[in-house]
Amino acid sequence: MSNKAKESSIGSKVTKTLIYIFLSFLAVVYLLPLVWVLYVSVKDDKTLFVSPWEMPERLMIENYTFAWTAGKLGTATLNSAIVCFVTLILCLIIGSMAAFAIGRMRWKLASPMMTYFLTGMMIPVHCILIPLFVRFAKINLTNSLVGLILPYLTLSLPLTIFIMTGFFKGLPNELFESACIDGCSIYKIFTHIAFPLSKTGLFVTGLMSFVANWNELLLAMVFISDDEMKTLPVSLSKFVGPYNTNYSQMFAAIVIAIIPTIVVYCCFSNSIVDGLTQGAVKG
Amino acid sequence: MDKLFRDKKAIIIFVAPAFLLFTFVLFIPICQSVYYSFCEYNALTSPEFIGIENYRQLFTVDKTMKIAIKNSMFFLVFSVVTQLIAGLILAALLTNIKKGRNFFKNVYYLPCVLSSAALGLLWMFIFTPKLGINQILAEFGIEGPLWLMDTKGFIILPMWVIAFVALWQYVGQSMMLYMAQISGISTTLYEASYIDGCTKPQAFRYITLPLIRPMMATAMSLNAIGSLKFFDLIFNMTEGGPNHMTEVLATHLYMQGFKYFKYGYASAIGVVLLIICLIVTFIINKFVKVDNYEM
Repeated sequence: MSNKAKESSIGSKVTKTLIYIFLSFLAVVYLLPLVWVLYVSVKDDKTLFVSPWEMPERLMIENYTFAWTAGKLGTATLNSAIVCFVTLILCLIIGSMAAFAIGRMRWKLASPMMTYFLTGMMIPVHCILIPLFVRFAKINLTNSLVGLILPYLTLSLPLTIFIMTGFFKGLPNELFESACIDGCSIYKIFTHIAFPLSKTGLFVTGLMSFVANWNELLLAMVFISDDEMKTLPVSLSKFVGPYNTNYSQMFAAIVIAIIPTIVVYCCFSNSIVDGLTQGAVKG
Repeated sequence: MDKLFRDKKAIIIFVAPAFLLFTFVLFIPICQSVYYSFCEYNALTSPEFIGIENYRQLFTVDKTMKIAIKNSMFFLVFSVVTQLIAGLILAALLTNIKKGRNFFKNVYYLPCVLSSAALGLLWMFIFTPKLGINQILAEFGIEGPLWLMDTKGFIILPMWVIAFVALWQYVGQSMMLYMAQISGISTTLYEASYIDGCTKPQAFRYITLPLIRPMMATAMSLNAIGSLKFFDLIFNMTEGGPNHMTEVLATHLYMQGFKYFKYGYASAIGVVLLIICLIVTFIINKFVKVDNYEM
């Protein structure tokens, strides 16, 4: 090996090490707050300020039980799960139906219809908050999960339709031709051929809508005031607030709220990250 | 075949649910919102047309609105610029290493999928006067500032804190977008440039950057719109306080609409927000977006 090449290989090793040091430091910045919240949540509230760095004498599990019951986090998790799953399923069905008609069927208004749906992506939810709230209050849809599912569904639709239209357009023509020859009806073609064949698209869009709705705070806060109907972010924000003085219990509540997401993320992180990125690229 | 795919009845059945939902839950409310913005309207009265009075008040009388616009603009510029730079750097570093790439990528992306309401509360605690960061600083004998309550300066300290937390939370998204685009660039381009004596930074400057420009437009407009809609973190970290100093358009709208129940006035803020969103998207797409290069 010539001298110069040796030097440059040493140089590149140094840069590599520096890169790794930098990336590891950043990883610590990312993980430390999460570790800290976990650590404080099992501490005794009194020792929190006096001896912040000492390990607690025993794990205060009752912080969790208290946060779970007093913060009504159980009900909240259930509500969030109901809202998100119902929205997810409806969004995939309704969205891909519309996408199939736009991407595969032949009619003059297909592209204006697409534009109509796509404008929805640019509209911030804040703009529809007040009229929607007034309308829903009139027909008793506030304080009900249905009243939350409707706007969530509508706001998830544009992206679903956009991505699924791309998917349906990409399916090979021969498939549909042979189905036609076999005497398939248009509905059967959709339910038995197009829909099952676009699993990747359904996964990507479903993931995006689920993550967005699971974490949504503003709409849920405005539409729901009844404790029994609150979703997870709302119940959490209410429990952890200026009126609560027990810090470790509030930390326990935060842990409870983010642990399910972290567990799911750890199991499927690669497909989740790729799926969400794919969705964002296309959106 | 052709007949089957021209079936009008089937088309209507397929499109109708989405179309109706869209019209009733999104389109009509937008129109109503524009109408309300010209009305004197609160929770107890019905809307009464007053022309541009709301807008006049918004831009001449309302002091909080000035702060909100300033903060929103700061936020917009800060997040677009820092996300672009930090996202690009991270993407470039991560594509250059092999070992542990997935680990780092997944760690940086993690906050994007977590609830920003919960993360906002978590960071609120980290920056409370006697906990978190100030406890660490106290170990070194430094008295930490009041992170979320300081009100000095043109852009006050809490806004910087919130902006950095937002960067922490969402930079993974930009990073992934750029990584996706970089990994699509053919390696032969790089090989050819190295034979021509190109160094790695040069390759990044003259090959990678131009080729990912379309993605830069996408990521920037995503960030810009995201930062204008930004609500959860601010609401849970400061609730717009101290003394409305950290208010942005979204929180101002929420306060006016659902704390003081001034529906008409809040609608006017919503319309302003919508217009800013449209303008920003337009500008970014006009000036950053270029035709796709052949790859």
